[in-house]
Amino acid sequence: MLEFLGPLLGRMHPLLVHLPIGILVFGILLCFFPQKKKNPLLPSIRLAFLLGGIAALSAGISGFLQYQFEGFAWEDVRIHLFGGILTTLGSFGVFFHLKSLKKIQLKSKIFVLGLALVLIITGHLGGNLTHGESYFTEVLPQELQSFLGIEIQPEKGPELAEESWEEAVFYSEVVQPILNQNCKSCHNPRNKKGELDLSSMKALLAGGEDGLILTAGDAEHSELFARLILPKEDEKHMPPSGKPQPSKEEIALIESWIKSGAKDNQTLAGAGIPRKLIERFIAKNEKPFYPITDFPAISTDSLAELKSFGFFAEAVESGSGLLKVTCINFPDFQNSDWDKLAPFKNRIAYLDLSGTKISSEIINSIVELPNLTVLKLNETAISGSNLGALTALAHLKLLYMNNTTFTLREIQMLAKSQSLKKVFAFDTPAAKEWTVSEGLTFPFQLEVGNFQLPKLPTDTIVY
Amino acid sequence: MKHLEKLFAELAVQKLQNQTRRHFLMDCVSKVGGLALAPLLFGCEPEQLMKSSSGLNLSERDLNPLAPLPPPFVGKAKSIIYLHMAGAPSQLELFDFKPELAKYHNQDCPESLLEGRKFAFIRGVPKMLGPQAKFAQHGKSGAWVSDYLPHFAKVADEVAFLKAVHTDQFNHGPAQLFMQTGSPRLGRPSLGSWVTYGLGTENQNLPGFVVLTSGGKTPDAGKSVWGSGFLPSVYQGVQCRSKGDPVLYLEDPTGMSRDLKKNVISAINQVNQEDFETFGDPEILARINQYEMAYRMQIEVPEVMNINDEPAHIHELYGTKPGEESFANNCLLARKLVEKGVRVVQLYDWGWDTHGTDHDGSIDMGLRNKCREIDRPMSALLLDLKQRGLLEETLVVWGGEFGRTPMQENREGKVQGFMGRDHHVDAFTMWMAGGGVKKGASYGITDDFGFSGVDERVSVHDLHATILQLMGFNHEKFTYDFQGRPFRLTDVHGELIHAVLA
Repeated sequence: MLEFLGPLLGRMHPLLVHLPIGILVFGILLCFFPQKKKNPLLPSIRLAFLLGGIAALSAGISGFLQYQFEGFAWEDVRIHLFGGILTTLGSFGVFFHLKSLKKIQLKSKIFVLGLALVLIITGHLGGNLTHGESYFTEVLPQELQSFLGIEIQPEKGPELAEESWEEAVFYSEVVQPILNQNCKSCHNPRNKKGELDLSSMKALLAGGEDGLILTAGDAEHSELFARLILPKEDEKHMPPSGKPQPSKEEIALIESWIKSGAKDNQTLAGAGIPRKLIERFIAKNEKPFYPITDFPAISTDSLAELKSFGFFAEAVESGSGLLKVTCINFPDFQNSDWDKLAPFKNRIAYLDLSGTKISSEIINSIVELPNLTVLKLNETAISGSNLGALTALAHLKLLYMNNTTFTLREIQMLAKSQSLKKVFAFDTPAAKEWTVSEGLTFPFQLEVGNFQLPKLPTDTIVY
Repeated sequence: MKHLEKLFAELAVQKLQNQTRRHFLMDCVSKVGGLALAPLLFGCEPEQLMKSSSGLNLSERDLNPLAPLPPPFVGKAKSIIYLHMAGAPSQLELFDFKPELAKYHNQDCPESLLEGRKFAFIRGVPKMLGPQAKFAQHGKSGAWVSDYLPHFAKVADEVAFLKAVHTDQFNHGPAQLFMQTGSPRLGRPSLGSWVTYGLGTENQNLPGFVVLTSGGKTPDAGKSVWGSGFLPSVYQGVQCRSKGDPVLYLEDPTGMSRDLKKNVISAINQVNQEDFETFGDPEILARINQYEMAYRMQIEVPEVMNINDEPAHIHELYGTKPGEESFANNCLLARKLVEKGVRVVQLYDWGWDTHGTDHDGSIDMGLRNKCREIDRPMSALLLDLKQRGLLEETLVVWGGEFGRTPMQENREGKVQGFMGRDHHVDAFTMWMAGGGVKKGASYGITDDFGFSGVDERVSVHDLHATILQLMGFNHEKFTYDFQGRPFRLTDVHGELIHAVLA
């Protein structure tokens, strides 16, 4: 029957907290009143701290109830709650402390100042819980915010999927994100420059201090668009010069939206938007070049170890666990040096053994590199007898074997590879065979080169 | 341990050098507050604050500034070959086909094009000058290339054209600086320096950034176009000689063994080291580094810079003649250098400033001769990189520092003896090819005279942003702190040219 009492009392918390704040601040201020031998205000001060303590206690209880019933996270309220308890104890503490005194002493003043500090911190944390941590800062100008080191989360522009962009709702998935990105920082419910809010459809229709900004079907007479295409020097140009400007596709999209009737539920296809306009907002689900792994970034010690042997070794990108290793300054590398690489075999994604003294058996070691994506074997004495073993490498995309003795037949052994994209075999027997046996096809692109630029009569004419 | 002391001293000097008004003001704001807070947070031991900031961790980079670093994200290219046509070639005779302009040949330039404009040499009302080349579309992409570049026309499918590039400098020096350093004034690091600073170099026996020139002259802007600006000097371009020995005195003199040479160099470095300890100038470290590099270069440079041993079919492809100073030889060298792990190769070819003041500077004759000098080599370079698979990871960029006017130049208001065009900043053509570039793309549309870009315009900063992106950098995050603020190659500008990214 009376279960509602708990939540109701809990909701009294924002009301009740003002009592201890008011009363205690009053008491604290009285402590600093000038006093003579005997402080005539002392009874009032004591009363203030007693009442303040009681008020703090009731605020604390209601606060605890609110925490129980309103689904606050313990991490969020913890310090605030301890602060409340500390304030309550502190208030009663001051009350009892003053009991035996005739006047306020220095230590009393320190005591109440400490209490004041706890009170402020607790109150502030409470405010953060109800109003959000950025309540004060978000009304500051952006320059001041960034000066204070507050990171402003950039608004995301439109993001559409390759398969379903035509079905995207023009207003909510394209127009509003564009407005959010380019206009909202100055035109939002909290900061309405020119009395204009551009953060929702309703606000768009409401207009600003100069009246309506949107005339459905008539972009030229809609300020929402017309201001964007004014010359940048024009005072009325929006966004103001110096601020980031929308791209020409974005402006064109706003224009098309208004022309198509400024509806809030029409799809892009419905408004007849060509792909070209929307192209740059379509997320490319491009697969990363190297395989995705969860290796931690390689330690500088391991890198230093590899480098001390003479390898060039570096992560494929900052923070990646995958390695690029080349023998560019290690021409004496031979099969027996493989032990130096073996500890990193899972990490090697790019391996360049060009110009080294390796022999064919090294293939058996190379196939043990599960993440190998690029392999260069240019200018080596490797022969192709067991080249087919490389098909076991599930991620191998580029294979370089220029200036080797590989034949076309040997390269054919690679045909089973699921991953190979390109094979380079310039300056090989294969390249010579290729010219005579065209018609052979491979599942990957085979580049044998031998390009020539035939002589032209104009080559020798001097004007 | 000596190394450590040296570096601490260097750090102190650099800190002092870099202290500016900005730091002072910043300190005024932040440290006064900090002063009040310090006792609260750290008790009465302010040294603790000091200690926490000087706990230096020396990385490999501190000892070897050219040590390789991974890119922030996987780049599409690991090397750049930049072909800069110093003097600025005419886009209207090479790539930007304007049949409409031909109809206005020899007529007075419309007032609308001249209003409020300044040109380097044109005065009064010039005559229009129709395109002097024959154009045709080539390849699957249907790229417009003129008969001035017959070989290049065959590889046009490999490249992406930027046809409405614009700059804001109409004199060679500032425009070259702008194109190479992102600022028309001296003092900024060049594109190549930024990339070398960001990625280091793979081959520790070669410089990370090599510059080769041809055409008989170095660029008007001087060596600052490959300078390192405020970056440490080790990142500046190393210019190799284009004729004779690429690097002088690489061979040990007779009677001088390599060990003896080593002793000489370590003695010199010892002296420099002592100098450094006295004066604390970090540039002395760059000098020490150069000596060490020179010693290591002795092993690799003679081989990599020698084109004599290239097979005949390669010489035929490029049209190279060993021993002479030519763009062709430089193109072949560029391929060899990139193959050996050099990060940036910058080629400058001088002689494209076709004003029509003489035969060599004429659009219909001199320009054709100039085009013949680069047509085969640059086409060969693309093909050679392609057949070796190097085009997968090498970015090739071609262009001048600005374009040329659709009007005949009329220096001092006089009629010129030859057909020529003035400097033009509004629209010109550049192309990119290789790692991460969309093959056969064409971006940018100019008006019927080729005077201004009407759509898809590209600024120099946009170009830089795109090049850095392809190398694995976000141009907005790739910064270097100098004089109290972070600097970028693109400063506060630059948008990626998505249309040419594969």
